[in-house]
Amino acid sequence: MKRISSPHTGSIGAFRRGPRRALALVGTLGVSAFVTSCASGAELDTMKPKGPTADDLHNLIVPVFIVAGVVLALVIGGTILMIRKFGVKEYTEVDFPEQIHGNTRLEIGWTIVPAMILAVVAVFTVSVLQTQNKYHKDQALSVVVVGQQWWWEYRYYDGGFDPAKNYDLGIDVRLNEIQNHKGKTEKHPVIVTATQLVVPVGTEIDLYITSRDVNHSHWIPALNGKRDAIPGRIQPWKIEADDPGVYFGQCTEFCGLSHSRMRMQVVAMTDADFQTWWAQQKAPATATTPEGQAWLDQQKAITAGTFNSKVDPSKVLAAPTASAADRGMAIFRGQCTRCHLATGINEDIYTGEAQQVSKAAPNLTHFSSRTTYAGGIFNLYNPDGTVNRPQLEAWLRNPPKEKPAYAVGERGMPNLQLSEPQINDLVEYLLSTGTKPAAEIITKTEVE
Amino acid sequence: MAIIEQPLAIGTGRAPEVRSPLGVFARPTAKGGWRSWVTTVDHKKIGIMYGAAGLVFFLVGGIEALLIRIQLARPDGSLLSAETYNQIYTMHGVTMIFLVAMPLGAAFSNYFIPLQVGARDVAFPRLNAFSFWCFLVGGLFLSSSWIFGGGADGGWFAYAPNTGVAYSPGHGMDFYALGLQITGIASLVGAINLITTVLNMRTKGMSLMRMPVLTWMLLVTQFLLLFAIPVITVALFLLTFDRRFGANFFRVEAGADPLLWQHLFWIFGHPEVYVLVLPAFGIVSEIIPTFSRKPIFGYSFMVGSGIAIGFMGWGVWAHHMFVSGIGPLSVTAFSLSTMFIAVPTGVKILNWLATMWGGRLRFEVPMLYAIAVPAMFTIGGLSGVTHSVSPADTQQTDTYYIVAHFHYVVFGGIIMAFYGGFYFWWPKIFGYKLDSKLGKVNFWLQLIGMNMTFGPMHILGLQGMSRRIDHYSPGFGFEFWNLIVSIGAFIIALSVASFLVNVVLSTVRYKRGLIPPAGPDPWDARSLEWMTASPVPEHNFDEEIEVRGLDEFWHRKYGYDKDHKVVRIATGEEVAHKGDNKNVHLPSPSYWPLVVALGLPLIGYGLIFNLLLTIPGAILLLGGVYGWVMEPPDDPNKAHGHDDHDDPSPGLALASVGAEEVGNG
Repeated sequence: MKRISSPHTGSIGAFRRGPRRALALVGTLGVSAFVTSCASGAELDTMKPKGPTADDLHNLIVPVFIVAGVVLALVIGGTILMIRKFGVKEYTEVDFPEQIHGNTRLEIGWTIVPAMILAVVAVFTVSVLQTQNKYHKDQALSVVVVGQQWWWEYRYYDGGFDPAKNYDLGIDVRLNEIQNHKGKTEKHPVIVTATQLVVPVGTEIDLYITSRDVNHSHWIPALNGKRDAIPGRIQPWKIEADDPGVYFGQCTEFCGLSHSRMRMQVVAMTDADFQTWWAQQKAPATATTPEGQAWLDQQKAITAGTFNSKVDPSKVLAAPTASAADRGMAIFRGQCTRCHLATGINEDIYTGEAQQVSKAAPNLTHFSSRTTYAGGIFNLYNPDGTVNRPQLEAWLRNPPKEKPAYAVGERGMPNLQLSEPQINDLVEYLLSTGTKPAAEIITKTEVE
Repeated sequence: MAIIEQPLAIGTGRAPEVRSPLGVFARPTAKGGWRSWVTTVDHKKIGIMYGAAGLVFFLVGGIEALLIRIQLARPDGSLLSAETYNQIYTMHGVTMIFLVAMPLGAAFSNYFIPLQVGARDVAFPRLNAFSFWCFLVGGLFLSSSWIFGGGADGGWFAYAPNTGVAYSPGHGMDFYALGLQITGIASLVGAINLITTVLNMRTKGMSLMRMPVLTWMLLVTQFLLLFAIPVITVALFLLTFDRRFGANFFRVEAGADPLLWQHLFWIFGHPEVYVLVLPAFGIVSEIIPTFSRKPIFGYSFMVGSGIAIGFMGWGVWAHHMFVSGIGPLSVTAFSLSTMFIAVPTGVKILNWLATMWGGRLRFEVPMLYAIAVPAMFTIGGLSGVTHSVSPADTQQTDTYYIVAHFHYVVFGGIIMAFYGGFYFWWPKIFGYKLDSKLGKVNFWLQLIGMNMTFGPMHILGLQGMSRRIDHYSPGFGFEFWNLIVSIGAFIIALSVASFLVNVVLSTVRYKRGLIPPAGPDPWDARSLEWMTASPVPEHNFDEEIEVRGLDEFWHRKYGYDKDHKVVRIATGEEVAHKGDNKNVHLPSPSYWPLVVALGLPLIGYGLIFNLLLTIPGAILLLGGVYGWVMEPPDDPNKAHGHDDHDDPSPGLALASVGAEEVGNG
């Protein structure tokens, strides 16, 4: 034990090792938290911008982190200095400091100096804020982003979508009931997809974000900050990716039971790849065999009233049996149509209103051209490009077990009590619905 | 002086009749045991009950926090189902804000405002008791949701429309809306009471600018409550009407805009932050001068910055809504206001440091906490400034970065300050000090635990980990820091345990005579609460104190010699009142506040389960109010003293004046 000669110069037991410990701890945790982000492979990392808007945000905040770190170091350093300099062990009857009640000049000083530092920060903040909120630069591609419990829908419009001029009955039936559409024209999306937003690189994409039920928030950290999806409002936002790749996102506004399982990705492609994807997505789905297609065509004719099965019962075709995918298609038409639309397969009998609180379920037209499903929590393909069948089968067998949904229902996919052969056929059908994505997209979808 | 020579109960000069039909209106007289607690109107007993209840809820909220951290310690945690997790994290927030931080602030307000302004009690003692019972029954009502089908599951912020019946079909959100309504009554009544106390009941010479900083901060807090609580009251009523009676305030399909809730909630919610933090600032402002042997640096700046925070706190609410789509102009305005609210806060921190500068710092346990608070709060404050950079906030908001931020404010700032306050005032309240060694263990575990818990959350947030998620998948880089955070949470738990052990051990030791009584002034402190015996006698001060300046008590102990050096002129023991004056008229106990308060949860259960239940609730409430109004202001047969013995002479009439106003309050 070091002897303390003067009552106010020695360091004190409690702080003897304390300051160093506190400095090491607070310093490393606090400061490093502000200025660094350390994990590799952090797919949602906000400090690794991959697009111009995200770059702006990053360049704005890093200097602020540094200034904040310096201020923090000064405050903590000053505290520790004072602990060492002014600490005493016991009070005596004679040792009193000067009784200073204040220093107006000093106090005005430390009111004004922080205010000036903040004023500088404010200038850059307002400037970036204006850039971030400038939309509709080239109007190349507009996507209406619709959140619902617990997945995202992406509705693509050719030639732009403007909520001031257009409305889309499919966005939210209830929303449109309460809005006055005078002077607006109805506009239909060219492509409707779910969970993966496919975009061309180097292009600013206009997003219009809304919700069909509760609040959600759409966030792709590598490309831009987040914007809430609020039911009854259509909110502008934008994203742009510099390079091809898969950029991860997560719903960040609490939205109920499976909030943590509401994810999404942006898949950025070269312009040529995007054109190919666009053409494939626009085409309606078909059956895999002529037998299946004939049955499908006849079913649609029955719906349309151009073929009357009662008049010509002998001409009614039996459901396809030869191809598993076509058997699955028939099951899809029978079982899945009450919620899911697959253009080319069941648009004739799909009511437009799913049996959900949100009245929507994912459009499955080209399901297998996506790499992920069920709100982005399962991968359709293994990294080697093979299909992850067990997971897809498990999902069809009992969805609420795979992804929590409320017991009262109408949220998430219900358990349809499908038989094993039905599940097998449905899997075959779902895998036949689109072109398998490029290998690098499949591997990049894997986070592990 | 003639008027006060008259019998004091009514002041008419004529002895009033005793009205006690069926005995129901007689005032209770219990001096000890549980009866004295449930009927008390003594601001100190009420303060202790606030503190005790707050600490019990602190343990409840802490257990919820530990469950959250076990779940998130590893990826794909499966301890809790998504449903349970959402309830646990919601109730953790609701409990910690409304049932811990607020009542602990109320505990300090109740106990110390009257003492620091030299008053006999608060202005309306029965209302004070009512406010405590409202808080307690409201808190128990809220917690009883666990028995009746599960806690609230919509987050403490309860964003519409997710809280509507369609999306939250259980009763949790009903308990949330009605429970907070009841605790809101507690805050509102308390605010009116304490504002009146400060404005009207200061002792002679105690001008506003001679009040201790703590009292000032608590006064600002009460004004914030007075204006903020009505806003949440409206919001909660709208929610209740939506949920219970099918109203359409937040139903989008009926034309509602969900942003209405966000605005209402945060117009309440942001001042609420300052409701929590200003008492903590006040506590630190009392402890640091005492253990620096210096007056607070820049008293008027400290008071002024507190008032400035109180005002500016109303102009920043929409920074919680930067990504809600409120438009770039609103975002700009709220960015700027949020940035500049950092200025008065910074003034406080620098003034604390300047108070320490050149002082004689003695590292007793309260001082350790008081030194840690500015440092920890600075971290929370600086991350707050980064949020005000609104474009960048679109990356940070609703991630763990925010969780880190407000825990540095609420835990690092507020809870640490409350701990400091406990150690500081424990001898004043209970007559003995808490153990210093265990207190230091408590402190270091707390400081290390909280930095391990909340520090890495900054990193997790910047790595993109969302808030309010019941699990995370491996591969996003969240594994390592989440594990550290969870370990930190258990270190905090250990620290809380060491505090409880300290309380039990010190109490036992004191009862066995192993530690000496602390005496009136164990820390050589500065303000009036130290100028009376410890524990504080029921009547607070033996006689009215005349105040001649800031830090009156200190100036009665110390003077200056001709070289302007500080010299002792008296000890604290000599200056302090002995607390043995038996001839002080005090407000009589009453059980009506409890009766009235008990009606409220009954009405709440009625609104949730069966409207018929509201009838006994309303009867209890109205009957209670009737009894309250009709009960005699005092028992005239036992006029004075501690109301249990006759008072031969009106005696110390001077001291009774304040109390008489009190009794009729």
